[in-house]
Amino acid sequence: MILKVEGVTKTFGGLAALKGVSFEVAEGTILGLIGPNGAGKTTLFNVISGFYGPDKGDVLFAGEPVSYLKAYEICHRGLTRTFQVAKPFGNLTVIQNVMVGSFLRASNPGQARAQAMEAMEFVGLAGQEDKVARSLTISDRKRLEVARALATRPRVLLLDEVMAGLNPTELVEMLDIIKRIRQSGVTLIVIEHIMAAIMNVSEQILVLHHGEKIAEGPPQEVARDKRVIEAYLGEEYLLA
Amino acid sequence: MIAKEREILGERLEGKRARIDPSLYVLAALIVVAAAFTLVVKDKFYLHVLIMIMFYAAASSAWNIIGGFGGQLSLGHAAFYGIGAYTSTLLFINFGISPWIGMLAGGAISVIIAAIIGYPSFRLRGPFFTLVTIAFAVVLRILAVSAQDITKGSIGLSVPFRPSPQNFIFRDLSTYALVALGFMVIMILVSMWIERSRVGYYLAAVREDEDAAQALGVNTTRYKLIALLVSAFFTSLAGTFYAQYIAYIEPYGVFALDFSVLLAMIAIIGGMGTVWGPVAGAFIVTPLGEFLRANLGGGLQGLDLVVYGTVLILMVILLPGGVVPSIAERLKRGPKRKTAGATAAAKEAP
Amino acid sequence: MAAVLAQVAVSGLLLGGVYALISIGLTLIFGVMRVVNFAHGEFLMIAMYATFWLFQLYGLDPYVSIFIVTALLFLAGLLTQATIVRPVLRGSPAMQIFATVGLSIVLQNAALIVWKGDYRSVDTAYSRAVLSIGPLQVGVSRLTAFVVALAITIALFYFLKKTYLGKAIRCVAQDKTAALLMGVNISRINLITFGIGTALVGVAGAVLMPIYPVFPTVGTYFVLIAFVVVVLGGMGNVTGAFLGGLIIGLVEAFSGFYVPALKEAIYFVVFILVLLIRPTGLFGVVGAEEVGLK
Repeated sequence: MILKVEGVTKTFGGLAALKGVSFEVAEGTILGLIGPNGAGKTTLFNVISGFYGPDKGDVLFAGEPVSYLKAYEICHRGLTRTFQVAKPFGNLTVIQNVMVGSFLRASNPGQARAQAMEAMEFVGLAGQEDKVARSLTISDRKRLEVARALATRPRVLLLDEVMAGLNPTELVEMLDIIKRIRQSGVTLIVIEHIMAAIMNVSEQILVLHHGEKIAEGPPQEVARDKRVIEAYLGEEYLLA
Repeated sequence: MIAKEREILGERLEGKRARIDPSLYVLAALIVVAAAFTLVVKDKFYLHVLIMIMFYAAASSAWNIIGGFGGQLSLGHAAFYGIGAYTSTLLFINFGISPWIGMLAGGAISVIIAAIIGYPSFRLRGPFFTLVTIAFAVVLRILAVSAQDITKGSIGLSVPFRPSPQNFIFRDLSTYALVALGFMVIMILVSMWIERSRVGYYLAAVREDEDAAQALGVNTTRYKLIALLVSAFFTSLAGTFYAQYIAYIEPYGVFALDFSVLLAMIAIIGGMGTVWGPVAGAFIVTPLGEFLRANLGGGLQGLDLVVYGTVLILMVILLPGGVVPSIAERLKRGPKRKTAGATAAAKEAP
Repeated sequence: MAAVLAQVAVSGLLLGGVYALISIGLTLIFGVMRVVNFAHGEFLMIAMYATFWLFQLYGLDPYVSIFIVTALLFLAGLLTQATIVRPVLRGSPAMQIFATVGLSIVLQNAALIVWKGDYRSVDTAYSRAVLSIGPLQVGVSRLTAFVVALAITIALFYFLKKTYLGKAIRCVAQDKTAALLMGVNISRINLITFGIGTALVGVAGAVLMPIYPVFPTVGTYFVLIAFVVVVLGGMGNVTGAFLGGLIIGLVEAFSGFYVPALKEAIYFVVFILVLLIRPTGLFGVVGAEEVGLK
């Protein structure tokens, strides 16, 4: 189990965003993280990736506790996350953006550039190196977000709603990218609202509701789970 | 099939050609011109102006490392400048130590002070960081004034005229000009190195979006600190050069807020966060100031600063990127057409 | 001894009132626009020169010219906000800082050119008079300055708490987006706030003239004190600025009494300590993100 989350609780003021969440992720698999809006999915990402410290509980990455580490230290260890609303370095070019990622592992600018090119080709951004990041389309921004994260050569990659805002063709392309990432040996945790997509590609699904885990298991099981259906009752979800 | 291969080959060659940085050509040209000027021109005033230009280009480049690349607006850099000036001067006057060595000693002290100041201060954002830096420089000035036994307070210190290479005192201005040139070249090279290295990329990332940078493994505080230490070191060297050139230092002059602002202003006018910005800024601003001061005399003392201030305000409102990036923009549009033409030609061929 | 200490304390408090008045404008502007007006001291300098010249040329008593100077500074504030501050509000904090720094340089040196570096003072019949209140000697001009400062501060409180405009200003300071959604014209509020902030400095300049001389760089001296006060009280917090002013006045008086040589350094040390230990100041919450507390 490359990632273990044990009893994580996180409160903000009076609000408990996460209540005793526990689960494990097997290496090389894709875990889909779903739940209605406000369920605590991004908060969970923030805790795992070191942006927040948990009030209770622990996060174990490759057997080592990491909840006390800073975000950049966790990235060094091999866990990288993307952001729900893409955060490109607007005034830098695409390749410069990705190089910020690749410099983590590369020892000189030449190597960093080469590795960045690889990451860009992987997500289909080849040819756009010198475009200023600010001027990219949503779809390309999402790809940039992924390329940048991939450039850090993570063992575990957390993708936060990387498919939001994409049209059907782009969705298919992004799904393909995700599958190829898994193929390369990287473990993925994916937050998504686009049900068909995520159910399709994940080995395991974890459902959060009001900060609590209400279901966990293979997609078909979770889809039939009464509590899950109830949580989503009245929620609109996309069948792409 | 062949056309496509030609295209790829064309692009690869293009990439290879672009690798020799045009900046190096500019630098070489600059060195040649400046050196020639130094050796040919004998007029003291013009040489002085050239020395001041290169001095400010270097000092502002040093500021630019933390201010431009690092995005942390220090208006207290006079602190390091003053430390450099006083350290080398005191070591020279009291112990006869060569100012070249004193310069390095001053640099070391500045680095230590910078580490002590910088580490807690980086938690502060925007104007609050700036305020702290201003306060530190003022405190140092007050200390310099009150430590009369050591620094002679507001009376200041004179560097005795004992010309010799190891004393860093020269009879003719041309030698000072060559030293200033060397200093400026070093700063340009340092800036160029930073820009394309991990430090530069990480600093740019931190400037753009600290959270995203952290998520990519950037230890933001550490890199800001690196930038500050490098910046402090070189600013300190500038202080020693000034002491050796002007041969007189006093607290209100070397720890002046005006000086800190000038360093920042030059970089902003030329283009903050670029290699050539501070240099261009110095070439624009310094001669203007020197000529204004020389020609208008006492009656309009302060006019140069009024002009500086006005230019700064206008730059900030109209051209926040600075002069160099705007020119770079225009130049980019030229070569782009050539590339498109080359690939198009490759496509045409069977 | 107690009498001496009481004397020191009173001097400190009285001057602190004026420091408070200078600082309140600065903190108000920051609270609403998140801009630190580095030229704030220069506006004080202009107010003082205006008071001086009105006295010198027309014999107008400073306490009478308060009204003229305040109006003048209010207009100056509007003009500055409209031409210099507004264009950079959308830019990076760096540009905002340098816009006002640039203005500060221009104003300081323009004053140097026009009025030269000499120290100018206003000497009215009462400016050196001293009142005896019990065992204490109280300078009339200082007392008046304090009373005016207190009165203006109370008026400002009333304005912010009770009037619609005042509430609108507080709204924008608290949450710009919410204010926008409530139909508040942010541009207009920014403009008026800057005007008010500068006008307050106008009052301060007028009441300071009988006490202090004016010279082109007098602004730098006072603005640094104002920064310390504002940071101590909490950026954006008007009550904090008032209390901070009093505290700094006391600190200055006592350190001037015990350790005159390092008097200047004391409040910078306070400043640095506050910024590093409790950057939000004694009362501040506004702008906490800017101060790096996350």
